[in-house]
Amino acid sequence: MFSAELFTQTLIAGLMIGVLYALMALGITFIYSIVRMINWAMGEFYMLGSYIQYVVVAHALGRDLWWLAVIISTAGTFLVGYLLEPILIKPMYARAMERRDDYATVVTIALLLMLRSLAVVIGGPYQFRPETNLPVMWVGPLPMEGARVAASVCALLALLVFYLVISRTWIGLALRAMAQNRVAAQTSGVDVFRLDAMAFAIGVALAGLAGALLAPLFLVYPTNGAVATVKGFEIIVIGGLGSIPGALIGGLLLGVVESLGAGFISSSYQNAYGFLLVLLVLLVRPYGLFGERGREA
Amino acid sequence: MNRRVVLGTIATALTVAASAALAQEPMVFGVITPLSPPGETSLGQQVKRGSEIAVDYINEKGGVLGRKVVLSIHDTAGKNEAGVAAYRRLVSNEKAVAVFGFIHSGVNIAVNEVAKEMGVPTMGTQTGAGDVTAKHYDIAFRTHAVDPPRAATWLGWAKKNGFKRLSVLAETTDYGIGLAKATEAQNKSMNLGMEIQTIMFDRTTTDLLPQLLQVKAFKPDAIINVGVGQPLDLMITQATTVGLLPTVPMVTSYDAPGRPQHWQLHKEQGVGVHFIAFYTQKSKLSDVGEWFVKKYQEKYNEPPIYSALNGFANAIVFAQAIEMAKTTEPKALIKALETGSFKGWSSVPVTFPQAEGALWHNWSPPLMILKYTKVNQTQADAEVAYTLGDN
Repeated sequence: MFSAELFTQTLIAGLMIGVLYALMALGITFIYSIVRMINWAMGEFYMLGSYIQYVVVAHALGRDLWWLAVIISTAGTFLVGYLLEPILIKPMYARAMERRDDYATVVTIALLLMLRSLAVVIGGPYQFRPETNLPVMWVGPLPMEGARVAASVCALLALLVFYLVISRTWIGLALRAMAQNRVAAQTSGVDVFRLDAMAFAIGVALAGLAGALLAPLFLVYPTNGAVATVKGFEIIVIGGLGSIPGALIGGLLLGVVESLGAGFISSSYQNAYGFLLVLLVLLVRPYGLFGERGREA
Repeated sequence: MNRRVVLGTIATALTVAASAALAQEPMVFGVITPLSPPGETSLGQQVKRGSEIAVDYINEKGGVLGRKVVLSIHDTAGKNEAGVAAYRRLVSNEKAVAVFGFIHSGVNIAVNEVAKEMGVPTMGTQTGAGDVTAKHYDIAFRTHAVDPPRAATWLGWAKKNGFKRLSVLAETTDYGIGLAKATEAQNKSMNLGMEIQTIMFDRTTTDLLPQLLQVKAFKPDAIINVGVGQPLDLMITQATTVGLLPTVPMVTSYDAPGRPQHWQLHKEQGVGVHFIAFYTQKSKLSDVGEWFVKKYQEKYNEPPIYSALNGFANAIVFAQAIEMAKTTEPKALIKALETGSFKGWSSVPVTFPQAEGALWHNWSPPLMILKYTKVNQTQADAEVAYTLGDN
């Protein structure tokens, strides 16, 4: 079934989910660009953010203050990340390990399992849904949950704020310096260990923000972060590892391809379209649309 | 000679002692059910509760063949490979004599492929796909409605309401594919002349908006929601957003809305949802069924739903069959299940005839469609919108 209106609606749906996908990918790409490690537990910080959102809305603030709960969830996830980094990630640099990638993989996968099991123990295997007071809104010809529109707007704002912090502030300058040359940054007086913790916490807080914003739409349950992790990695392959514009464009592309594919080709393969896009990008630009070709000394 | 006699006496004494020890060893009933996402956890929890009460009931009555019964519960998270691994462990390591608790058809079908070699019988607690029993394996039993009567129920309901256009949104699992095919096949074989739009989706998807936009463009009279767990709830939420619900009635393919979480998740959006059900508090129960309902209410301070009743019934049916066979030997147990008539939760006795197709070794509960008419309604208060055979 095809009509111009249906195509427009499906395209808008794809763009809206694409912005949310971008937010999921941003934390992964940011942590990689600064700390040079892949955080496999990123989806679990997304899950943590969604649980905090539910608990705060359902048991403390109520639906009218959902936006305050989003701030609390993001801050809470930031705090957990900031406290965990010195215990789990810092030894990777402080002890000058030879096989840092292996260490990071093992530690973050262990963290993934621990957080997921903790969610099952504390909240049980059930699904929850934090409420908002947002009504259904019209985006062009398409009715959308108010929470989805708010999540997309917040995601765009978060991307903008994040870009400004990275490009216009001293801390952003220091983080960029670390991303380019860690030793040179340290020689210039940058406290790289403190900034490692900061970068890790900011990265996981972005995942927590995504989890809090999407909780009313995609529900809260112990494994809800798995999708965020998969989509996040698909996007950073498409957009390029370490690229913020790449995360946004990659997210939008993935959202649109999945949406149009599901709407007009076959809905059965909705998730497969994303992987086809990943394969296509890998064939044409192996370092991603906005990524830089790796340099080895 | 004397030495031989002494050795023989010792050997006999040891054999008797070993037999006595074996007789005292608890009998293991295996439960393979989803207790973590993306499996249908709320139903898995209900099966767990029901089977735990069943074991209490059996042990209070003196156990089975003089042995106490214990449960060994394994979580599949709805994944086939986890179910197969659990079955192997149950049979090889834990010496389980019966295995039940299945909710996801795919898991049940995958386990049956292994069970037909290992021999210990399985019972589908709430698995609807035809292939669970349609392969006619000796070890495969089920106490749940299969695809054809379920499809017949919503088609009958649609016919009764004069509907002509149906949208079927089904997940790409054995369960979803089976029900989608059964709906299309019966529409043709019964000459109902309905126009049916079938859309299949991956059950791990987090966004059903593209699919629901296609449904909206089709302008159906009703929607059949063949999602299990998270996709089922996602479809209710997103169908409301795009303006399909509550104008276009939606029937969920099983009784998930019967659980209390339905209202926690959907609030006023949950009103108007129709769902296939196999039990209401108005259903006629056996004496053990009545005992169970009372016990469950006392223990959990809420009425049981069908999954709990079936978890309970599976355990007591196996217990009765073992008593009838007078052994836990699999072939004798299977023979007893095939020839006996057992007491379950319903007033209708449980039997497993060697019937045609998916009805092989299958006992089916009565089927109906219930409809919520106000917020926080319980399944017991839901309106009976249709009972199979009404028209």
